[in-house]
Amino acid sequence: MQYAAEQAWYMPMGPAAAASSMESAVARVDVSSCCMCHAVKRLFCGMGVHPTVHELDLDPRGRELERALARLVAGFGAFGSAAPVVPVVFIGGRLVGAMDRVMAAHINGSLVPLLKDAGALWL
Amino acid sequence: MVQGEESSWRMASAHDHERAAVHLNQAALPYHGGVQAHASAALPASFLDFQPAAAAAAYFGELEEALIHGAANAGGVGHHPGSMITSDMHSAKSAAAGYLAARPPTLEIFPSWPMRHQQQLHSGNSQQSVGSTTDSSSARNTMAQMELVSPGPASSIRPSPPSSSEQQPQQQRQEVMMVTTDDYSYKPAFAPPPATLAAAPSFQQQLQLPLHGGDHDKRKHGLARKDGKLVDSKTERRLAQNREAAKKSRLRKKAYVQNLETSRVRLQQMEQELQRARSQGTFLGGCSGSGDLSSGAAVFDMEYARWLDDDGKRLAELRGALQAHLVDGNLGLIVEECMRHYDELFGLKEELARSDVFHLLTGSWATPAERCFFWIGGFRPSDILKILIQQLDPLTEQQLMGIYGLKQSSEQAEEALAQGLQQLHQSLADTVAAGTLNEGAAVPNYMGLMAIALDKLASLEGFYQQADNLRKQTLHQMRRILTTRQAARCFLSIGEYYRRLRALSNLWASRPRENFIGTDSLSPTGTELQGLHHQPQQNQFSGF
Repeated sequence: MQYAAEQAWYMPMGPAAAASSMESAVARVDVSSCCMCHAVKRLFCGMGVHPTVHELDLDPRGRELERALARLVAGFGAFGSAAPVVPVVFIGGRLVGAMDRVMAAHINGSLVPLLKDAGALWL
Repeated sequence: MVQGEESSWRMASAHDHERAAVHLNQAALPYHGGVQAHASAALPASFLDFQPAAAAAAYFGELEEALIHGAANAGGVGHHPGSMITSDMHSAKSAAAGYLAARPPTLEIFPSWPMRHQQQLHSGNSQQSVGSTTDSSSARNTMAQMELVSPGPASSIRPSPPSSSEQQPQQQRQEVMMVTTDDYSYKPAFAPPPATLAAAPSFQQQLQLPLHGGDHDKRKHGLARKDGKLVDSKTERRLAQNREAAKKSRLRKKAYVQNLETSRVRLQQMEQELQRARSQGTFLGGCSGSGDLSSGAAVFDMEYARWLDDDGKRLAELRGALQAHLVDGNLGLIVEECMRHYDELFGLKEELARSDVFHLLTGSWATPAERCFFWIGGFRPSDILKILIQQLDPLTEQQLMGIYGLKQSSEQAEEALAQGLQQLHQSLADTVAAGTLNEGAAVPNYMGLMAIALDKLASLEGFYQQADNLRKQTLHQMRRILTTRQAARCFLSIGEYYRRLRALSNLWASRPRENFIGTDSLSPTGTELQGLHHQPQQNQFSGF
């Protein structure tokens, strides 16, 4: 099985104008594999959230998006230099961060409220 | 002539003892090995014990018999190992005697037979054409044989001047020499003989005189002369061959010894390197017994041991503080200390994960019982929460909600990570199995395949980091939900839980089974043995 390197964008960033919808929509194209992205996808699916997926592989501006994201994520205390940039999660137009931040937010209990506020999750 | 010398032998026997000893020592010098030295040491003593005349005569009679017996056996050129064995002792004695007799004039072994007599004996022997092999090599060989058999036959060699006719000693000598040559032919595998052969080339010329390759019957027909020129061609060829063989064996021996020396030096160097590497990896009282730990893993093991010591102290402190019913402020300090303590461990693990994640994942740093509950290199957060919920009974509604929410979140996160990991496993398996496995490494894109697999394996590190992060976040969140007192009890519970798991591992290791430490096959659980082999101080370890 092969999975694309995905990001789940709830709300596109300014520079990433290609990403559009505020609605949760499921779009997934399998190109290359990133198992951590699969993990975060599973996490959201388990919660009943279906994020919009943007794959850097398929995006023609994927490289610069990746670089922009790396800059964004680096300030959030990502693990070491070997950690891949993706997956990156945006909720309600705001950057949540890479996988570790998402996890921490979930454990904190702050992820669910965020999702609810963004309208991606209903009770 | 000989009779006159008979008496001279007897008279000379006394002061010839010393000369014989000296000569024997000189004789021993050019020869290899300590056997000669041993023999040479033995011989002078024997000479000193020499009892002239009567005893000698008695011995001589025996010897004569033996020689004749041996001579009869030695008939012909062929090998008669069987017969030689029976008369081995005698032949050994006679061999030694014969060899000594066959020495050049410079080496006088038989004290009672002065040098000039020996020379005459040589000539006499030449006349009588010593028997079968008559090689100088054989004479030398008999020297070797004498050395090998050493004190027994040597001591029994008493150069007794014959009380009877003079012919007998000569006869004896020749027979002895003949027998000695037979000994040589019977024991061709002697290593020293070739060596001694080569070592005594000087003897050759002089010994060639009386010795002939050939038959027992030729004894009566002397060929060699004292001048050393007229040597049988066959003999000469054989001598040359012996010389070559001796040289070759010497070279081989030298090469072998050199090889041994270099190997020894290399082994020493390797041991030193190993020592240095070990000492770098382990500081004081290193616990890693196995040699295949990476340096980072060894450091981690050591740090972890230290952490466990600290953990014990913290637990004791907590227990004391709870029992003493400290003010919340002070207790809070202690709880914060505990929290920092756990964070320290997570930091250690994160550091090692960058270099050697597999050491953490396999859990060789943890005790076997803890390893049963391993989940991506550590404890499973929801498991801990399940345990804690039972321990923290008086919880408020809000706290209960918080704890159950935490439990659910952690379960979801764990599930997500587990799914991602499973995805990784499948992907890695597919990559490694790509192409036809039957062709082995000859698949065209083998290296590309390996590169992809390497990347996938590297992402394993990411999963481990995320799992550890999950554990850490769970602990922190739990601390936030609970009051100080509850948190103190919580940390105490966790600490005690793992201490019990460690104790369980210890008990498991030391339960009565025969030869537990030695045998691998008896253990029902392979992983436990691995853990024990890796951790001699396993009562210190836990898998947190």
